[in-house]
Amino acid sequence: MGLFESAEKFEKMLGGFFELLADTPAIADKLLASKLIIRFSYSDPDVVLLIDCSGDKVEISAGDTDTKATVDMSMSSDIAHKFWFGKVNLMAALTRKQMVAKGPIPKILKLLPAIKPSYAMYPKYLDENGYGEHNIF
Amino acid sequence: MGGYAGSILYVDLTSGDIEARSLDMEFAREYIGGLGFGTKIYLDLIKGKPDFDPLSADNPFVLMTGPLTGMRTNAVARWTVGAKSPLTGLWGDCNIGGFFGAQLKFAGYDGIVITGASNSPAYIYIEDATVEIRDARKYWGRDIYTVTDEMIADHKTASMKSGQVFAIGPAGENLVKFASIINDKGHVAGRTGLGAVWGSKKLKAIFVRGTGKLEVEHPDRFDALRSELKELYDGNISTEGLRAFGTASHMDIGIISGDIPMKNWQQSEWDLFDEIGPVEYDEKILTGNSTCYACGVACKREAEVKEGAFEFEKGPGPEYETIATFGTMCLNVSLESIGKANDICNRYGMDTISCGSTIAFAMECFENGLINKKDTDGLSLTWGNSEAIVAMVEKIGKREGIGAILSEGSAKAAEQIGGNASDFLTTVKGLEAPMHDPRGAHGHGLAYAVSSRGACHLASLVFPVEGGGMYLPEIPELADEITGMSSEGKAKLNVVCEDYGMFFSHCVGFCNLGAMILNATQAVDMVNHVTGFDYTLDETMQLGRRIWYIKRGLTNLFGARAEHDVLPKRLMTVLDTGPTKGSIPDMDLMLKEFYELRGLNEEGVAEKKVLEELGLTELAKLLYDGC
Repeated sequence: MGLFESAEKFEKMLGGFFELLADTPAIADKLLASKLIIRFSYSDPDVVLLIDCSGDKVEISAGDTDTKATVDMSMSSDIAHKFWFGKVNLMAALTRKQMVAKGPIPKILKLLPAIKPSYAMYPKYLDENGYGEHNIF
Repeated sequence: MGGYAGSILYVDLTSGDIEARSLDMEFAREYIGGLGFGTKIYLDLIKGKPDFDPLSADNPFVLMTGPLTGMRTNAVARWTVGAKSPLTGLWGDCNIGGFFGAQLKFAGYDGIVITGASNSPAYIYIEDATVEIRDARKYWGRDIYTVTDEMIADHKTASMKSGQVFAIGPAGENLVKFASIINDKGHVAGRTGLGAVWGSKKLKAIFVRGTGKLEVEHPDRFDALRSELKELYDGNISTEGLRAFGTASHMDIGIISGDIPMKNWQQSEWDLFDEIGPVEYDEKILTGNSTCYACGVACKREAEVKEGAFEFEKGPGPEYETIATFGTMCLNVSLESIGKANDICNRYGMDTISCGSTIAFAMECFENGLINKKDTDGLSLTWGNSEAIVAMVEKIGKREGIGAILSEGSAKAAEQIGGNASDFLTTVKGLEAPMHDPRGAHGHGLAYAVSSRGACHLASLVFPVEGGGMYLPEIPELADEITGMSSEGKAKLNVVCEDYGMFFSHCVGFCNLGAMILNATQAVDMVNHVTGFDYTLDETMQLGRRIWYIKRGLTNLFGARAEHDVLPKRLMTVLDTGPTKGSIPDMDLMLKEFYELRGLNEEGVAEKKVLEELGLTELAKLLYDGC
């Protein structure tokens, strides 16, 4: 059993954070420049979140398994949660298959600078939106 | 027997004697190749008189390939050089890629041992069985790009391929203490100043051209493994990252974990960081990719600046370490100037890590009033002053003005500058630390401290293993999850990464980057398929361990003791912000455990019984009885 018992709660929590990123111009502009459609498939609990950066606005949708994604990322919900704190060793997680990335890897790597500011935003988001119990800081 | 070329070349520059000696296969099995060959041969040469000036004819120089060097597969083009370091006064070695090692083996040689010194500029000419010491006066004074082009043109024939050049530039000739030796303009034996050893021997270059072929003992097995690995390489994030952005890809990964030193190791965050990231590199200076012999990873970059103050011709582009030393370390946002500093270092033949770190050190001295514009010939050595950085690189190469002081390396420069300059040092055993911060990965701290050649991220596999890019589940100590900002268990991790790393990187010649994705089974299998040996993983680690003790013994013979196994104050200063906020390696804990695991006495020397158990009785006698 992981940190999150409810798929619904995890989806709402992380989906809400992705909406915040989509509304943050410094991050959204770089995501839109990538034109990527990224599907995150989480396990334990099972949740799917799609971030579509192919249009004029970053769109977030939950449960979308039909849209053809350019990048597929899969990992456990616990790893995803730790990742957004900046607490996951990305190289180790990928090497040890705790995270699996499929798609154009150079384009995925180009996103790293874009999401860097988000690590500081995540704990604040959790506190301000009633998820403080999950804040590991 | 596959893999090996079959002989080692001995060249005495004093007498002019040249001899090719057959490679003893029992020796080959026991010492594998690379540093295994190099340290053992070197020790045998100096054991009667270890107390000599590194810049004298008494300092032998060893150049050794591994059993896989020259094989047509990814990430095995590497080879090693070693000698007593003029920068540290201790054992020095470098691990190099490129094409020279492969070409040397095609000529029929697994390595070269160079002794003595020439009275006048010389180069060694090797074309299969023809080996000669030739007059290099026409090449002396030339920069590395020029001497490489001229030497290849001078030896060009209609029927033969062009050959390879391994050369020093003006910095080596001028005895800059961190002078490098460079193959094909961009494959650098950079650390510990071995270019100055060549300068002192008046050895400008080695030219080699070979027409032979290397054998593989079990070609079917080798091909099957290559096919298996091809699938592993395609789509792997490390490989794809290296292919796409070269080693600069680490900029975006290292910034997350706080791995990248900034402002002479005073911070790990910087608002302008992205200005010198891999995306900007592509847009501003990149012109193409290049590679080492037979390697499809192709992580090397080509760069060019067409106009302006930092104009330079298309050539090898800066690697991650260079971007960090001349960029983040100096708070310099000009990628063009970083490319230019790299170009000057390559042409003069200087280690970019020591050069950039020494300039960052000098900037802090300037900021604190220990040196001023009078000392710098009018250069305002302020943070981010890209023009001053580039000008200072050139001054160091020429040993001009304050460049002469800085050309001794930052540790010696601190002694000359005085005041509290030593507070700004980032050296271990006199070698400037590479661009990976142990405050975010405590095992690095121990690796730097106990490294025989001084602060080094390549002395073992601690960097790729603790950093996460390398996973070796067959080695029990490395199978569990590793926490960077913790010192627990890191002594054991270091020992294992040293033993296996000695085999993997330094003796066989696997590339720490391109071959990072191989597990231990695949690596050992490849060596066995090529050589016909039947190494087990345990045996490779035992052999690696033995060679680690020889290398440690060499540096002990040159004077290194426990008091040198320490990190500088600057690297042990807690940062208040950034990803490594509040984190500091517990060096007391790690060193205590490491000394116990390695059987080192209070002085930092391996206990006699430990050496004797490893069959290193002669080394034990040298260390304890002086004979």
